[in-house]
Amino acid sequence: MMHSRRAATALVATLILTTTAACAAGPAASTTPAGSASEASSAATYGKALTVWVMGDSATKFEQLIAPFETQSGIDVTVEAIPWDSVNDRLTSAVASGKGPDVTQIGLSQLASFLKGDALADVSADLAAYPNLAESNFPSAVASTALNPSGGVYSVPWIADTRVLFYRSDLLSAAGIAAPPKTWDELRADAKKLTDKAAKHYGYYIPQWDAPLPVTYTWQAGGEIMADGKIDVTSDAFTKAADHYLGLYADGSVPTASDFDQTTGFISGSVAMLVSGPYLAKAVAEQAPELDGKWSVATVPTDVSGTSLYAGSNLGVWKNTTNKVGALMLLNYLADPATQVAWYTSNGDLPAATKAYQDAKLSADPLVQVYAEQLKDARLLPVSTKWDAASSEILNALNKIAVSGADKGATLKALADKVATINAGN
Amino acid sequence: MQSSPAPGGLAASDRRPLPRRPVARAASHRRPTSRWAGWGFALPALALVAVFGLMPILVAAGVSFTDLDIAGLAHPETIRLVGAANYVQLAGDPEFWAAFALTAGYVVVGVPLIAVLALAVATGLNRSDGRFFRLLRTLYFLPAVTALVAISVIWKYMFNGQFGLFNWLLDLVGLPAVNWLSDPASAQIAVGLVAVWRAIGLNSIILLAALQGVPGEQLEAAALDGAGPVRRYLYVVLPQIRFALGFVVMTTLIGWLQFFDEPFVLTDGGPVGATTSLSLFLFKRGFRLNEFGYASAGSIVLLVTIAAVTLIQLRLRKAHD
Repeated sequence: MMHSRRAATALVATLILTTTAACAAGPAASTTPAGSASEASSAATYGKALTVWVMGDSATKFEQLIAPFETQSGIDVTVEAIPWDSVNDRLTSAVASGKGPDVTQIGLSQLASFLKGDALADVSADLAAYPNLAESNFPSAVASTALNPSGGVYSVPWIADTRVLFYRSDLLSAAGIAAPPKTWDELRADAKKLTDKAAKHYGYYIPQWDAPLPVTYTWQAGGEIMADGKIDVTSDAFTKAADHYLGLYADGSVPTASDFDQTTGFISGSVAMLVSGPYLAKAVAEQAPELDGKWSVATVPTDVSGTSLYAGSNLGVWKNTTNKVGALMLLNYLADPATQVAWYTSNGDLPAATKAYQDAKLSADPLVQVYAEQLKDARLLPVSTKWDAASSEILNALNKIAVSGADKGATLKALADKVATINAGN
Repeated sequence: MQSSPAPGGLAASDRRPLPRRPVARAASHRRPTSRWAGWGFALPALALVAVFGLMPILVAAGVSFTDLDIAGLAHPETIRLVGAANYVQLAGDPEFWAAFALTAGYVVVGVPLIAVLALAVATGLNRSDGRFFRLLRTLYFLPAVTALVAISVIWKYMFNGQFGLFNWLLDLVGLPAVNWLSDPASAQIAVGLVAVWRAIGLNSIILLAALQGVPGEQLEAAALDGAGPVRRYLYVVLPQIRFALGFVVMTTLIGWLQFFDEPFVLTDGGPVGATTSLSLFLFKRGFRLNEFGYASAGSIVLLVTIAAVTLIQLRLRKAHD
């Protein structure tokens, strides 16, 4: 009895010791392979390894995309998939620890955080050697002055996204509307016409989580949401935009449920028109192929202008990468119009390079024609962490008035005060 | 007799001889290595608690006096000590107080509700040990072990205003549809409902174990003395399970002061911030807007609140005993 108890104690003690020893040895054993790469200072030589962060679940397709690059350059690229939800967490841990990838995809809505965390390298001096990365290859919406408010060049465009008007052509013609609305007034009138509360049919859908929408309305009203680094919610343009947003609700043309599903609503006909992106077109085509021919897209209704959102992702080189030349070579390869078209075919993301739209695969698709047309008049959201804080405040205020029935004057005044505090902060 | 019975402890000691403790006590006088062995076995767990529990609290306390954000992470030399500025800002932040009030509301309503419901479920399950009751036990315990993501997806679909199960059922009986997760008031109820549903599982199993430890002889004696089922329950059963009940209330209280999971997955604090609990408010400021200093100050306030409530509970229990 005592003998087996002693043996058991010894076994447990050994287990504890070995596990603690293994944990201690763990971090030391996993040094990053990039450390063994040669110096990046010489243009002729470059490191043989790269780590790339790709957001979402398209890592496998990305690996297939860059296979020719790996063969041609001899660089071994490791692709890490980062779920969109944990991008900010990965960024903060990488900034705090100093250990990041060599190249990273950057969702444009998160660009401000990457810049504030000083995570990216300034490549303005290196761009001359890489013809595909020249600014003239991309739309003016993503000029380096727009992407880098404090100067320098910290990221290059990768994929584009925009917002256009989706409409059910069958529902519109049934209501006697020949063509989708081209102006704000036409939109309000058509939405009212298409609404049948009793049958739970609405003319227009405004997603309650869509923070860019009030901003695009402000641009369409001919104004700015951010001027001189300060967010402005008191301008005439913003007031006009807010009235447009709230007016659609006041007409009763917009469903007030916050969990209204836009795909199901559009397919079932609960909502006849809405502003959304190419992802919705993909979802509708997949889930309801029988709707083919009964819906289409058009550029957004105009007021003073028809400016819509330019969204998407950029690519950046990590600040303390040991393989800067290899990273830039990869960026150059990814910005090549042929690669951009291949990525569109594989993953459905619109290219950022304007030449890619001349390819037959894109110029023949009528939906892509509308997207390309809209991208010509599309702008970035402000690249500023102040904007991140303010965008949810603006959305909350408008939703409070529209959905919860709060007093318009008081809520907008409170919003202006809140935005003033955000402007005053760091 | 021991002072505070462990669940099921009294029954065991009634029927089996006491464990051979006196031998071990004498042994520890002669062989001090057995005390060191005890420390040795406890040390890894203590180390984990110290590193992953205590240290982050100390770090958060330190960070709460600075203006740390993502720029500060990249360039530590730019971090400034701001003294109590974060705490002052918290005190003047209406969103913080709204979140605090909401969390307090959930605790005041939810914790007694869970205790009562879990006790009811445990009492019901204690009726018999048959196969059907064992199956019921598993079913009641399932919410506690099901992945939160799976729960949230299903409940979200059930609550959906357009095509959800609940509104369809209401429609069947002719009642008007409820905007479960869209209307601020009903969203608070819906989120609380899911949280209570999840919490009943584990707590009812703990109470069931305690109920099974109540010695049958005492109940028979009470019945012989003429006590009806209600008096037997109130005056024999409840005092016996006092410890387990107190444990359930205390752990549920601590858990619900940090109410996070359900509002995060069901409504993300919406609509218009109606279901933003204190933890969710801190999460959004700390991990979405990267305002680490401000969020750390909030988390220290939460820590002090939980510690105060727990100490009050322990004092009340000691006074009661």
